[in-house]
Amino acid sequence: MTRREWIALISAAPLLKAAPSAPSAPVAIAKCASYSDDVTACLSTLFDQLGGLGRLVRGKTVTIKLNMTGSPAYRIEGRPLGVTHYVHPKLVGATAHLMGQAGARRIRFVESAWGTGGPLEDYLLDSGWNVRQLRAAAPGVEFENTNALGKGKQYVRFNVPGGGYLFPGYELNHAYHDTDVFVSMAKLKNHATCGVTLSMKNCFGTLPASIYGDDAGVNAPNENPTAGRARIMHQGRRQPAKPAPPELDPSSSRAPGYRVPRIVADLVKARPVDLQIIDGIESIAGGEGPWIRGVRPVHPGVLLAGLNPVSTDAVATAVMGYDPRAPHGTPPFRTCDNTLLLAEMHGVGSADLRRIEVRGVPIASAVFRYET
Amino acid sequence: MIRRIGLCLALAGAVPLLASVPPSAWVPMRWNGNDAKSVDLFAGTPINCLLVTSYTPQFVSEASRHGMVTLVVLKPGSDPSPPAREAIHAGLQGVVLEGDFPKGTAAHVRDALADTHAVVVELTSRARMPLGGTAAIVGTYQGVWPGIQVMANGAAKAAPSGSPWIDTNTGFIRSVRAWGPAAIWLGYLPPAHNIITGQRYEAAISDAEMAGARWIVALDTDFSARLNRADPAALKDWHGMMQVLAFFESHPQWRALHAYSQLAVVQDRQDSLLSGGILDMIGAKHTPLRAIPIERLTADSLEGASMAVDVAPDSLTPAQRGILRNFTRGGGTLLTAPPGWKGQSALASDDITLNKQELDRLNDIWHDVQTMTGRKNLGARLFNVASMLSNVLASPDGKEVVVELVNYSAYPIENITVQLLGTFKHAQLITPDGAQKNLTVYTPDEGGTGVDLDRVSACAAVRLD
Repeated sequence: MTRREWIALISAAPLLKAAPSAPSAPVAIAKCASYSDDVTACLSTLFDQLGGLGRLVRGKTVTIKLNMTGSPAYRIEGRPLGVTHYVHPKLVGATAHLMGQAGARRIRFVESAWGTGGPLEDYLLDSGWNVRQLRAAAPGVEFENTNALGKGKQYVRFNVPGGGYLFPGYELNHAYHDTDVFVSMAKLKNHATCGVTLSMKNCFGTLPASIYGDDAGVNAPNENPTAGRARIMHQGRRQPAKPAPPELDPSSSRAPGYRVPRIVADLVKARPVDLQIIDGIESIAGGEGPWIRGVRPVHPGVLLAGLNPVSTDAVATAVMGYDPRAPHGTPPFRTCDNTLLLAEMHGVGSADLRRIEVRGVPIASAVFRYET
Repeated sequence: MIRRIGLCLALAGAVPLLASVPPSAWVPMRWNGNDAKSVDLFAGTPINCLLVTSYTPQFVSEASRHGMVTLVVLKPGSDPSPPAREAIHAGLQGVVLEGDFPKGTAAHVRDALADTHAVVVELTSRARMPLGGTAAIVGTYQGVWPGIQVMANGAAKAAPSGSPWIDTNTGFIRSVRAWGPAAIWLGYLPPAHNIITGQRYEAAISDAEMAGARWIVALDTDFSARLNRADPAALKDWHGMMQVLAFFESHPQWRALHAYSQLAVVQDRQDSLLSGGILDMIGAKHTPLRAIPIERLTADSLEGASMAVDVAPDSLTPAQRGILRNFTRGGGTLLTAPPGWKGQSALASDDITLNKQELDRLNDIWHDVQTMTGRKNLGARLFNVASMLSNVLASPDGKEVVVELVNYSAYPIENITVQLLGTFKHAQLITPDGAQKNLTVYTPDEGGTGVDLDRVSACAAVRLD
């Protein structure tokens, strides 16, 4: 992106829709050419630019939602998952190390592992991750698969303050409740349904398939889920398993491009995300995983971190070469509503680049166009 | 063209060399027996047995000079005894009867060759394989072409689909091996009208070798032609194939090991001879298993097993039911197909995989099998191996375990984890390039022994003691 294009984007943004008075927070960007570079140093710089990690995590339980979309069996051209559509284990290890150094009491990595309610450690091993190394990265590292009840005794209801777009509340694994700090560690990617999948869309993966999955129970969760969340959440063909509350308006649109952005906006409203880390060192463009036709590996060479998920995703969307306030029907939101604006309307944060302070590398210098 | 006299003379010099290699150690390949110079290609390779449909005296002589066995391939159509005798008199060492000949043909040919030391190998349909007999080699001309088949979930464009399925003959081979010690040859051909990469040939070789059988190496027409004119790319693929073949053939002791598994699968003959059935489904989950044909079901065959799957309940004799009953009384877990459940009906000569109806039927019990085996370590658990298959073997005393791995994808696999039952102090990664790398062993949370492998290309083995 040239400086002229950047100024044009900034100038045009307010014309699309006036940003409501949602909060914003600084977002830091760093260049990091490869996973062979000193990822820990890059990440440490980002955290320092956000005011330091210690004030956020010292003495606290930190829950980090990873992005490990889809079955680990599926690879793009045989590449390791971390250089395509999963967050990279090196970034995960670096995060644990820095959080441990900053005094975190417990660091719990979580993900709703695709198609299983088994231990997350097994899923990580199946993804080619070294669990022993991760565990040794800091004191108090643990793992939990949030696709079902996991180690908890019951699910926790997260009501959407002020009412949700689609559901009044969501039943999640206890790990999202029993924590002081919630972190979304995402990948810088497109998404077939939502246009982009960043720190907010990553939270769609907090939904347990035991309740919201294609083979979820009806009157009770299915604690051995084996499928994704297409029927209930993407397509609205049925309601989630009890005790989850049903949809507010079952006559609303069943289009995934309507539903998923609203669910995501609801989720980040209901379960606030305290820290966002976005892995854009290597990724894919054109979709969120190998099951999307036409995805291709890309190498943006950037890392982002922020303290407000809407602001962080707005900056990340701009880094991908898009207007974060783009309306439905324009790239990257060609077939969907804009999750960022929906979350902004919820009051979660501002997607207005003029109101977001970018620290470290300027957006214009970090831009990597995802559209060819 | 066949010239008997010269060949008999030539054979005389070669006999001591050939005699040193028993049929069970023959490593077969289909070849054109008309170009004597082409035998040079096999120098330094494990191939020591050439199957030819035609031959010249010069070719047979040259093959003998290189210490190679030559077998003539005869197909149904006319009485094979005359051409069989002709071939043996020409200096070939045996006959391969490929196809479904009328019953008694093989015995008739053996009688016709009784005054020679010729070997008669039968390559029949799977349905007609003479299992449990005394033949040194049993074989079939049928097989699936090994490789990854992506199971698309077309209905959910934005949703991740399932795991890749690997077409394999390993389940079938395990079943046949359970019948006896005969060497097993698979004589299926590369698929026609396909571009076949060297990697696919390596997978075909490894698929059979890992399970303890041998694929009769057969090249497609294009590859053969390129190899004949010493095309560098073809030579490179050939070298890769032979390296993989040598990897397995240089460890003959692995064929004598038994399955390191606490899971026994009891099947009837029909089911066990099909690919894509319960053995392959369990194998795809990398759960080690021991295949038990119902005819071989004894208390000893279940020794050391903690779980058994009986997919042939209606075929068991009262005594065999008693064996399974005692197994459960001794603490074993038995999963039996539901009442009225019926496996594969009578196997037709062209049946080598389950049809959709049979697969649907198998799904009735597959869910229960998965639930029962689940995350349990029934010998070994392997991780990050979705595009691989494995075979976990142990010495009779259980002190040495070998985990063979075959990669069916076109890419190397990195960061594999193997967790084994039992405590082992040493582990070595052995690869086709001849490297032997010591691995760090550790104790996983669940106990046992764990090792991590950095990278596996076409195939590898981990040896633990």
